[in-house]
Formats: sequence, C-alpha cells, structure tokens
Amino acid sequence: MAQNLIFDLGAERLAMLVAVPLLYLMAAAVAAVSAGFPEARLARWRMARGCAAAAVLASALSLVWLLVAGDGLVRGPMAVGLGAFGTLHASVRSDALGALMLLLVSFIGWVIVGYSQTYLTGEQGQARYIRGLMLTLAAVSVLVLSNNLLVLALAWVATSLALHGLLTFFNTRAQSLVAAHKKFITSRVADACLLAGVALVGQQLGTLEIDQAIAAAKALPAMTASLQTAALLLAASALIKCAQLPVHGWLIQVMEAPTPVSALLHAGVVNLGGFLLIRLGSLVGDVPAAQALLVVVGSVTAVVAALVMMTRISIKVTLAWSTCAQMGFMMMQCGLGLYDLALLHLVAHSLYKAHAFLGAGSAVEQNRLQQMTPPAPPQPMGHWLLGALAGMALVAAAAMAWGLRPSQAPALWALGGILSLALAPLLAGPVWQAGGWWRLAGLACAQAVALAYFGLHTLFGHWLGAQGAGMPPDMALVFWVLGCFAVLFVVQGAVRARPHSGLARTLYPWLFAGLYLDHVFTRIAFRLWPVHMPATPGTLPKPTPGTHTPPSGASE
Amino acid sequence: MNPLTRQPTAASHALQQAIDAACARIAPTWPLDRFIAVNPYWGQLDRPIASAAAQLTTLAGSPMLMPRRWYGAQWQAGRISRQHLQAAIEAANAPETVESLLAGMDSPLATPMRLPLAPDIVDSTRGLGHAMAWRDYITHHISQSCAAYFDQGQAGWGPDRSGGLYRSWLRQSAHDFSPAMLMGYSGFTHRLAALPPDPIALIAAALEALGVPADAQEAYFTALLMNINGWASWCAYQRWQARLAQQEDTQIVHLLAIRLAWEWLLHEGHPELGVAERLHHAWHNSADAAQQAQTAQQHDWLWQAALERSYQGPLCQSLMTAPPQPAQQPPVAVQAVFCIDVRSEVFRRALESTSPAVQTLGFAGFFAMFVAYKPLGTAMTRPQLPGLLAPQLCVTDECDAPGLGQVLAAARRKKLLWQQHWQGFRTGAGSSFSFVESLGLTYAAQLLKHTLGSGGDPTPVEQTGLPAHAQAQLRPRLPDHTGLPLNERVSWAATALGAMGLTTDHARLVLIAGHGSTSTNNPHAAGLDCGACGGQTGEVNARLLAQLLNDPAVRAALPARGLLVPPTTWFVAGLHNTTTDDMQLFDTDLLPDSHRADLNALMGWLATAGQRARAERAPSLGLSALAAQADELHAAVQARTSHWAQVRPEWGLADCAAFIVAPRRRSQHLNLAGRSFLHDYTWQRDEGFGVLELIMTAPMVVTNWINLQYHASTVDNARYGSGNKLLHNVVGGNVGVFEGNGGDLRIGLPMQSVHDGDHFRHTPLRLSVFIQAPQAPIDAIMARHTTVRHLLDHGWLTVFRLADDSGVWRYQPGGQWQAVERQ
Repeated sequence: MAQNLIFDLGAERLAMLVAVPLLYLMAAAVAAVSAGFPEARLARWRMARGCAAAAVLASALSLVWLLVAGDGLVRGPMAVGLGAFGTLHASVRSDALGALMLLLVSFIGWVIVGYSQTYLTGEQGQARYIRGLMLTLAAVSVLVLSNNLLVLALAWVATSLALHGLLTFFNTRAQSLVAAHKKFITSRVADACLLAGVALVGQQLGTLEIDQAIAAAKALPAMTASLQTAALLLAASALIKCAQLPVHGWLIQVMEAPTPVSALLHAGVVNLGGFLLIRLGSLVGDVPAAQALLVVVGSVTAVVAALVMMTRISIKVTLAWSTCAQMGFMMMQCGLGLYDLALLHLVAHSLYKAHAFLGAGSAVEQNRLQQMTPPAPPQPMGHWLLGALAGMALVAAAAMAWGLRPSQAPALWALGGILSLALAPLLAGPVWQAGGWWRLAGLACAQAVALAYFGLHTLFGHWLGAQGAGMPPDMALVFWVLGCFAVLFVVQGAVRARPHSGLARTLYPWLFAGLYLDHVFTRIAFRLWPVHMPATPGTLPKPTPGTHTPPSGASE
Repeated sequence: MNPLTRQPTAASHALQQAIDAACARIAPTWPLDRFIAVNPYWGQLDRPIASAAAQLTTLAGSPMLMPRRWYGAQWQAGRISRQHLQAAIEAANAPETVESLLAGMDSPLATPMRLPLAPDIVDSTRGLGHAMAWRDYITHHISQSCAAYFDQGQAGWGPDRSGGLYRSWLRQSAHDFSPAMLMGYSGFTHRLAALPPDPIALIAAALEALGVPADAQEAYFTALLMNINGWASWCAYQRWQARLAQQEDTQIVHLLAIRLAWEWLLHEGHPELGVAERLHHAWHNSADAAQQAQTAQQHDWLWQAALERSYQGPLCQSLMTAPPQPAQQPPVAVQAVFCIDVRSEVFRRALESTSPAVQTLGFAGFFAMFVAYKPLGTAMTRPQLPGLLAPQLCVTDECDAPGLGQVLAAARRKKLLWQQHWQGFRTGAGSSFSFVESLGLTYAAQLLKHTLGSGGDPTPVEQTGLPAHAQAQLRPRLPDHTGLPLNERVSWAATALGAMGLTTDHARLVLIAGHGSTSTNNPHAAGLDCGACGGQTGEVNARLLAQLLNDPAVRAALPARGLLVPPTTWFVAGLHNTTTDDMQLFDTDLLPDSHRADLNALMGWLATAGQRARAERAPSLGLSALAAQADELHAAVQARTSHWAQVRPEWGLADCAAFIVAPRRRSQHLNLAGRSFLHDYTWQRDEGFGVLELIMTAPMVVTNWINLQYHASTVDNARYGSGNKLLHNVVGGNVGVFEGNGGDLRIGLPMQSVHDGDHFRHTPLRLSVFIQAPQAPIDAIMARHTTVRHLLDHGWLTVFRLADDSGVWRYQPGGQWQAVERQ
C-alpha cells in the first residue's frame, strides 16, 4: 500500500485540496439533516456560505502553493483493483490545470451560494436546494482534483445526478421535468461513452491513472485501434456533455430552474467536457479522427448556435444558445490542439456567463439604454471591409508583439483571423464617422483587445506548460474552421445590413426553429424513454382551482 | 379575396361585433419599462362583479376570490366575525344564514368546469402522463411567434412582419415540422397552406367549420383570447396606445385568428374525435354554465364581503371620531404635497409627527403635468402621466448656461453610440467568442463586487453618458413660448393648484414630492415607481411644477385667475424614495437666500421622518431587529436597493385597501398603516364640483386599477400574476417575462410582490373609497359617467360618503345611501 503513495504533494497541501470537497459535503450533510427544521434556515445558509468561502480560500492557497512548490501528485491508497483495467486509486493531483479549475469552481460556487441565499428567501425546499448545490460542487471539485480516470468518470456521473435534483427543483412543473429528463438521457449516453472509453484505456494501457496512461500511450509506437476508439468515445462524451449539436436541446430548455442553477450549470458544469479534453491531452488529441470530430462538431455548433442566438427573443434562452456556441468554440480549440486557449476560454466564459445569468434581470435596463441610443446610420459594405483589414493589421501587430511568428501555429492564426473580423465593428462605421478622438478610442480599444487576447494566450500557455499545446491539426481542419467562421460573419453582416433580404427571410424560419434538431432528438428520446409528467393545472380543464401555490409550487 | 369585406351582410356585421366585444374584454398590459398597474378585469366592468367572476370561471377557469378554506382560516383567526357575515348577508339580501355559510365551509358546491376548447377535447383522449399536452404546445407555439413578432430589441434578427401578426405566423409555420415531430400531427403544413390569408376570413371560415352557435361566439372568442391571455393583453395594449393617438390597431384580432386557426387545425387533424360536435354541445348553453358557476360562488362572495366589512368597520368608526383639535395651531411653515400612493401615507404621517408646522397634502403624483419626457441627447421619449391619458407636450432637459445643453447632448449621443458598438462586439454572433477570450476574465471583478456587496448606489440607466458634473446643471424644462405660451402655462399652474387644493393659505415653502423606487436587476422595477407618472420616477413632474410655480411671469398672472400665491412662497421639488424613505431635493441652487433657513428646517424634518418611516416599515422587511438603530437600519435598507439577488426590495402597494378623498385633517389622527391612498379635497372650495368629477373619473379609476391588480395577482397568480421571480426570463427586451423557458407571456405582479413565502402580504379587499362631499354631486357624477356607475353599481369598489359632521354613509349598489351606525 505504502509504495503507492507518492508524497511529493505534501500532507498540508493534500489536506487543503481534499478539504474542498469535504467542506461542500459537510454543508450538504448539515442541510440534509436539518431539512425538517425551518428555524435552522439561517444556520443552514451560514454553514453553506462559510464552507463555500473556506473552499475558495483553500483552493486559492493551494494555487499559491503550486506556484511556489510546483506540481504534485498523491497516488492515494489503493481502493479497488480492477484486474486488467488497472486500479481505482483515490489519487489527487495538484497542477496548473486542476488548481485553476478548482479555484474557478469554488469561486463560482461561493458567488452562487451568496446570491441564492437572498434570492430564495421565502421559497419552499431551501434545504433541498442547498444539499443539491453543495453535492454538485463537491462532485465537480473531486472531478477536477482526481488523477484517476475512473474516479473522474464517477465524479462526473455524480455531478450530473446531483445537478438533476437542482434542475427539478420545481418538481411540479412539467416543462422542468421534460428538460431535466432530456438532460438525464443525454448525460447517461455521455456516461456510457465515457465509461466505455475509460475501460478501453484501462484495458489497453493497464492503468487508470491519467499521468501514467498518457505516458504509456506516448511510449507506444502507434496508437492501437482500441485506443483510437477510446479517444473517439472520450471525445464524443465531452461533446455530448458540452451540449453540442444535435444533443444541445436540454441546455436550452433548463431555464425551468432558479436563475442561480442556470448560472451554475452554464459556468461550472457544462464546460467540464473541455476540462476532460485538456486533462487527457494527447490521449485524445493525438488521434486525428478524434481531432477531426472535435473540430467539425465544435465549429458547426459554434456557427449554427451563434446564428440561432440572433433569432432568440428571451434573455435566458439567448444566453443558453450563446453558451452552446461558446462550448462549440472551446471544443474546436481542443480539436485544434490549442489547449491553452481552450482553458482560457473555459475560465473566461464561466465568469462571463455566471455574471450574465445572475444579472439577467437587468435586461430591461439594457433595453432602456437601447431606446436611448439614437439609431446608427447605415454602414456601407466597404467600411466593414476596411474595418476587417484594419483589424487584421492590429491583430498581426499584437501577435508579433507577444513574439508569435507567422510560420508557427497556423491554428492560432486562424483564431487571430476570427478576432480581426470581430474587431471590425469597433474600427468601422459610426465610430469612424464620429471622428476625432472617437476614432482614436476605437483604434486603441481594438488594439488593447488584441493585445489582451494574445497576452492571455501567452500567459495561459506558460501556465499550462507542456499541457498547453497538443498535436497540430491537419491544415484541412484549419481551413475548415476559417471557412465556417467566414460564413458566420458574412451571414451576420448580410442580415444586419439587409434584414429584409431574401436570404434573411429564407433562413430565418429555419434558425428560429433551431433547424428542428432538437425536435428530432426529443422525438427519438421520448420514444425510447418517456418521461412521466405530473398532471399540472392547465393541462386539463379543471374546476376553479382551489389550490394556492406559494411562490415555488414545490414542496419538500 | 375576403367575402366579408367585399359584401357586408348582417351576418358579417354580427361577426365583427362578436369579435370586437371579445377583444374589448381583454385589459391591456404595459411593457416592463413602463409597468403601471392595470385592473385585469377592466373589460368586464359592464357586468356585476359576481357575474363577471362566473364568466371568468367558465371561460378561463380563473378564480376571482380566494379558495374557501382561506376564508375559513380568516374566520378561525377571528378576522371575520359573525356580525360581519350577518351584515354581508343582509346587504346582499341573500337567502343564507351565518350557520349555512359556516356549514358550507367544508362542502363547497361543485363549480362547473371551464368550457372546453379544441385542445382540451383532443387532450382528454391522450395519455398526458407521457406526452406534451396540446394545450401547452399551442400556447408555446403562438407565444414564440408573438414574441418574435413583437420583439423590442432582444433579437438581432426578426421575422418578416409584413401583413401583420397573422400573416407573419402563417409564414413562420408554413414549413413547421414541429407539430408532426412533437405532437404526431400529420399534414400540418398542407392544411396550413389552405388557410385563408386574411384574419377575418379565417375567423368566418373556422366558425363555419366548427359550428359554434351564434349566440356563443363572443364567449367562445373571449375564451380563446383568455387562453393566450398574456399576448392578448399585450395586443390590447397596442390597441390602447393606438387609440390614445386617435388611431386603430388590429393585432388582437390577428391573435384571435391564430388561436382559432389552431381550433380548426385540431378539428381537421382529428376527424375521429368529432371536435366540432363536442364544441357545439359544450357551448350551446354557455350562459347556463355561467349561471351555475355564479350560484356555486354565492357563499364565497358573502365571505369576501364579510372580510371587507371587517376592514371597513373599524375604519368607518375611526373616521367618525372627531380629530383632536390642537389647542394652539402654530403657523404652517411647510406644505408638502405627496402622491396619493399608499406608501406616501407612512411617510406623511412620519413627517407630520416631526413638527406641527408641517402640513401635508395628497395629489396624483404626476402633478397635472401632461407631459412626455425625453432625456437630453437620447432617442427615448417616455410618457410621464397616467396610462389613461395621452401626453400633450414633450419636455427635455436644458442647461442654464446657453449652448452647454447642445454640447452635452452631442457628446452623449456619441457615447451612447459607442456603447452600442461595444455591446455589439460583446454579444455579436461572430465576435462574442473573441470577446470572451480577451475580456471574459474581467467579470471576476464584477462577481466579486456584487458578492461582497460593494455595488454602491445603483445609478439610474437614464444618466448613462452624462458626466457627473452635468447632472446638477440639467433641469427638465417646459418648452418655452413656442411650445407653451404664457397664458397656457398660467392655465397649467392654475389647474394644478386648484386640483391640489392649494388655493389659499400658502406656506413659505411648498414641497412638491414625487416618488420612485430603487432596485437592482429587477425586471419589474418600474412597477415600484410612480404609476401616475406612467411607471417612472416622479421627479421630472415635480420639478416642472415647481419651476412653473416659481416662474415670476406665471406668478404675476395668477391673481387674475383668482389665485393669490404670496410672493414669499417658494416651491421646491423632491423625490421620495419609497425603498429607502430618503427624500432627494432638486434645484435647491435656485432657492432665494431668504428661504435658506426654511429649507434647512425642512431637511431636518425630512431626515427624521425618513428614520421614523423606515422604522415603521422595518418589520415587514424582516428588519425588526434594527428598528431602533437608525443608522444600521438605513444601511440595511440601502443595501437592499443594490443587491442583485433581492426579489423583494420593498412591498410596493401591497395590502392597499382604501382611498380617502377628504381634507387631511379628517384622517390625520389615524394610523392608516400604509394601506390607504390619500387625496386632499375640500368640496367647499370646489365650485361646480369639477374637481370632484376629475377625482372620481381619474384617480379613483387609477386606484381601482392598482387595487384590482394586486387582487388579481393574489387570487389568480397563474393567469393575472407573473409567477415566480426565480424563473423570470425577460422577453423581447421590455415586453414582459416568461416564467421559465416559454409558455404564455406573463403579466401582472410576481408572486414575490404579494407573498412573503409564508403568507400573502396583500389581503384581497376591494377598494373602499371615502369621499367627503355632499351626496347630490356624487350621484350626479355617477349618472354622467358610465364607468363610474359601473364601478360602484357592479361592486368593483365600495364608496362611502363622509359628511362634514362626522357621519358616514355607505353606497348600496342600485343607488341607496345607508348610514353607517356609530358603535
């Protein structure tokens, strides 16, 4: 037993890391035990807030420790031998990726607990809510800490099951149950892919420890067919869990849970697919078929979901389609081997989307601002082109400033191309027409954004070290990505410029319907595994409803 | 193409009438950024309330009263007594006894079912445990189309809107596979293509196919509209606004056509079910069903009336007791005019308690300024007056320094445009990826700031793009001689003074106090602002009036109108923050030095009043522990305004129950617990009773709208309330909210605005209006105004007449005044 322990992590650091899930479990246990006592409400929340704050502190300290002492790993006491598939270890890893993820998850968790305490005032079932929230956070933190593939997979299953309790918080709402059921089905399919992939890895390489498996695979002269299959299964699992087309429907429809649950899902759970791919690195990334799968599905999802997003009419659903697109972008980056950018995207998107969901009530204020803004004069196409060219120049300058050379990393330059198109509106049109300082401000802003982009790329590259870059993709994939985004920018520009054109009118009904992808999925899923729905008032004519539901309609 | 328009016949005329009548039953709903209270039963006013309730039961399954066991709980708690029940029975002349009411508590008569629509008929044959109900599906389908059509800026890409809502829906659905895929409906697109392209023609053709009896058409149409009530109310708002502008809007007819098309499509899609026959069977005696419902609800109305009497009784008695006359009345130093809003009552009482030299008055918070407001340098114009009225003028901000306004406006326009571009970069379909990667990390700071509670005072979005120093220099100003010539300015001033009852005995300082609220991340924030100002904060109106009344030219002309305002009187504008009970004063830089001391005294009194008002409200906010610690309480209340998860920043107008139209001294000795609207009125000064007529046709209607909005959001939150804030999802920028993912547009108040999690904070009581005036003019006004007559005679509110000698008379529907006995 003792020979399995590698003590280079240090007992204190190990304790600090392990404390994070334990703190959440403790708060969950307190919530579960005290569920029957309404007078314990404040105590429950204090406990949850305290644990969440302590978890942030512990993960921040472990990150500092990492900076000082470097990577560490404890291959914990052997728990279960799995024969040819390796061994299930409770092994804990402290490295750049895991530490950052842990800090992210605990920070988002802390924000959400604080928000929820006020938000849920007067709601039924708060103890159940806290329990679900804390269990989800515990499972996610185990997931990001684990160095064992099977533990990681099981933690992921646990995350999904704990989250299910939150998604069905309003368990008398049929819509809520339908959406959660869809999520349940997709998650189980993803679990099956994941477990099959893990089993194949274990069987082929004789270990379930991630670091050992990666090393063992590297040592092989070539990836075996089974390992390639495993890579595809793991990539598929990540894609499904990241709500990529065409199994994205559940993500769009889980607005049937309280706002902070949406924030948690969009900021702390749906992106774990990206984490998995970065964590496994070459195990998946060195298989060209898996790369191609990730790039194609990811980029198509990013483009389609972004266009669908333009047609959405409610704030939360717009945000959900945006997440779907952003996850596609992240998957694409993983497929391109740009793990540093994928991690940056994961972290930055989490923070951005948590804020966007929690602040979704200010949509009316945003609308007021929109009403106050005088209509912008129409922009000729030429200005856009000029803006895009100027964007390219700025992006090139920024990239060079951070020491990138044109010859290296073609995939990165593709992303630079996307960035320069994105900057065009800041450089063209009314900003330019406003003249004087505004032109300068536009230029300065765009240049600052470009510098930040490559600066953060460099920073995350350093942060991840060898983990940051995967195998360069086939050039065909790079061109595919450029093609996809060229289509996106052209369609977006054309629709903005001529909202009544034939193109806009023809495409609109299809995109408004989300290309019917979710309809197909729902139909198949419900054929195979129907959900049982409560008979809600409103589905059948009833006598004058005599029931007076308190705010939630849910009870414990 | 349309046989009806080509050849008007008696049949088509009758159909048009049925359509118009059904559409008129739907009350409008205002957008979220102008969220004023609306009586959702406004379209039912022509019916006695019990009959209207029975109609709503049979057509929509909507209750207008609390469940009977709730009344039982009130009885158990002693809030309803035997005497109240007895009085209610006698007043209604009902064949019941207290015993029979108590016996009926546990065995309510079976209320007849809501009359079925086509989806109900089809759904009743399907196993709904495992499949989506047609009813929900159709609601969602229509709702999504409406949201896309009426979107006010959420989507960057909208549908083809040409030809109106109905055509847009036809086009959107022309290739719709979802009925086939989700509901197993075959041949949908084929049938849809065969529908008439004109909404009226569709309605006529569908009616013929469905065979709805002619005398049930209006009821059937109403039921269809109420089936998609949120969007019907939105369409009713479009029509309301068009009519205020002397135009017409028919989107509500388009909506009816869409909903009816679904009836027809379901009928055709399920020939084996005989939908038409079953519809005909159910609807041919719809009137009987309503009658049955009314019978079944008789007890409930008596319980409701008894509950109202339990509130009215003590109030009547205390209004009969003569107010104590102070031995020596000190001269009045300050007169403070507040909005009639129930929240003002708490603050006014507190202010009056600070000094006997303070006199307060109540008047509708738009202060008779019939304006719309356009913040300087923006493209937005928002009405600042009650929703019943159309603005006569548009005001904007101006600077004292000539030319500075234009400079500020130009700079602001550019700033706003830049922000819009930045927003485009942030959320654009193509650019959001790059935005997230380069700037997403900065949101950690935002999250940290919000969680640590250092958000600070929320800045009103209206101030965006103005430098801080500019705020103090800008004043909203009535357009000069070109827009409003002097004689009209004088008329505006004279009207306002007359209506407020400020015609004599002016103090040296007169405070005109509008009101507003502060909350963060709250889609329904405008609902907490001043309803009389169109759901906006009221400082614009208060400042305009103060400015008008301080204008030397206006003052010089007032005596000619019989209004003697002494030259020593100065008007100052303020804004009462109802969330924090702070009072902000405006334009004090213009105050003459002679009035500095007066103003300082007023500011002291206002600060004390704020403390007392906060202490009084503290228990309702769960802050009773801080009630005695002024500073801590102030900080706690302010923290609520900036907390982004706060779903109950304040209680708004919850529990409103009375409206007192009388001189303040009649009620000044009473603690009305923030439940009463207060309008000052002295009939002796109202020659010809023109002011009384105005009060009974405008503020009384507005208070009825507020009262019944709270009522409806309490008794039927599923239809007339917007459900749980935890699920709110803003639709179309400002149109309204969905509860969750989709479903119908939700109107009315969130559950959190009327319920604290354990109890309803609004007790559903119809408004009790107390008017101190002689009987004859009240009767005469009723005779002249159908609306007023309907409100009183049909039981939508109760009117009491206060005699000058402390007597109180209760109006009995039908025209009798009955003296309230002194106890």
